[in-house]
Amino acid sequence: MPLNASIDVRGLGIQFHFDRQRRVLSPTLARIRRGGPAPWALRGIDLSVGPGEGVALVGRTGSGKTTLLRLLGGILAHDEGSLEVRGRVGTLLSPQAGLLGLLTGRENAELLGVLVGMTPRQARAAVEPIRQVSGLGESFELPVSSYSEGMRARLGFAVAAQQDLDLLLLDEVHEAMDHEFRAVVAERAEAVRAGGGIVVAAGHDHAVLATMCDRAVWMDSGGVSHDGDFHAVVDMYVSS
Amino acid sequence: MRYGRGRLTMVKWLLDPYAAAGVYLLLVAFVLDRPGDSAGLSLACAIVPFQLILMTVLNSLSSVQSRRSIVVNLRFERALIPFSSAVAEAVGFVATLTLIVVMMIAYGVEPTAAVLWLPVLVATTFLVAVATAYPVALIGLWFPDTRPIMVSLTRAAFFLAPGVVALEQISDETSDWLRANPLTGLFEAFRSVFLYGHSPAAWQLLLPCAYALVTLALFVPLFRREGPQFAKLVE
Repeated sequence: MPLNASIDVRGLGIQFHFDRQRRVLSPTLARIRRGGPAPWALRGIDLSVGPGEGVALVGRTGSGKTTLLRLLGGILAHDEGSLEVRGRVGTLLSPQAGLLGLLTGRENAELLGVLVGMTPRQARAAVEPIRQVSGLGESFELPVSSYSEGMRARLGFAVAAQQDLDLLLLDEVHEAMDHEFRAVVAERAEAVRAGGGIVVAAGHDHAVLATMCDRAVWMDSGGVSHDGDFHAVVDMYVSS
Repeated sequence: MRYGRGRLTMVKWLLDPYAAAGVYLLLVAFVLDRPGDSAGLSLACAIVPFQLILMTVLNSLSSVQSRRSIVVNLRFERALIPFSSAVAEAVGFVATLTLIVVMMIAYGVEPTAAVLWLPVLVATTFLVAVATAYPVALIGLWFPDTRPIMVSLTRAAFFLAPGVVALEQISDETSDWLRANPLTGLFEAFRSVFLYGHSPAAWQLLLPCAYALVTLALFVPLFRREGPQFAKLVE
């Protein structure tokens, strides 16, 4: 098993700055503009994940699951602590799945391929496998604005899964998928883990998470409440 | 995608600049019957590059928010966002160039060998548009309430340059001040090539390029530093 993927997080924290009208400010702007509150969305997070692990993030809405996934995916920057993520990362972190409504499924697949680092030629070559994995059929040639949330999630996942991944980060959107496609997601997650990669998935559908993860991290109020065996942690969370 | 799909795409692309700028041209050149040689062509030489700058400003002001679905889902080079705004508007800009051709025909102005400068003019205008896109995208993200003001300021920049009248028709003292506006060099470079039929003066290209390079040097690093915060701001 290649030891090419790892996550090592120590004392991780991220702060959100607000102005007096409760609009979010960037830290740069917060320095030059008198602001309002500056709460920590996450603070003191310690987490180590090794090759082959599948980790579920569970917890109430607003507990910090999505923010942690975005930090792991390099979409947000942390304000304190250290974060080391090794390996190529694939993400599916929003219901929109990074898709632009005016473009067709095919055009989105090409665009996202280029954005994640493929050459235009590689992105074009990846389109046909993406079409097949997504199972969208003729809808692949239609504008994404005509797609349901589940169809978007299918396409977003197919694009993310097409990359040569070491880490797969999923945030609830896989829960919008139908049962047929959930099996595809679980299969791909298993393949990533079998290849020495890591899967981190957040959500509220614990049955779905159980198909991809054997470990769970219970997040509460921006911190880690419990970390351990999937069923033990989920049982504690559900009965809390 | 702006012009949709299908057989009318090309027609809409070609008509768009006339809808956006043609009215100006008809009003000032023909209805107001302004004095001076080829007043409509002189105006077109200002309107054409200005359209790219204005449209890039409009696009850039909401460029990060309009790409929200990608910003919150993917790690990618955020500095591509303003650049892509300028590229998107450059497609319309190419169609706008036909305004100059139409005005040259209308005024019977024959092209000279100076038209070979066209690629340089297009490249300089595009460089200014790209450079402007970076600070504008940040302002649109940081201060969304100021977007209408930014558009008004951009329009004001047109009138603080020799847009409606050529630089040679403005007093020396005032024209010296107007040269500090990067739009002045662009407008006059287009006039040099298409109206006067000679090569543009060095300052007409160098001043806009200097503005663009200084702006890029200042704002691209700032934009890249802010990039990891965008997912917070567009939520």
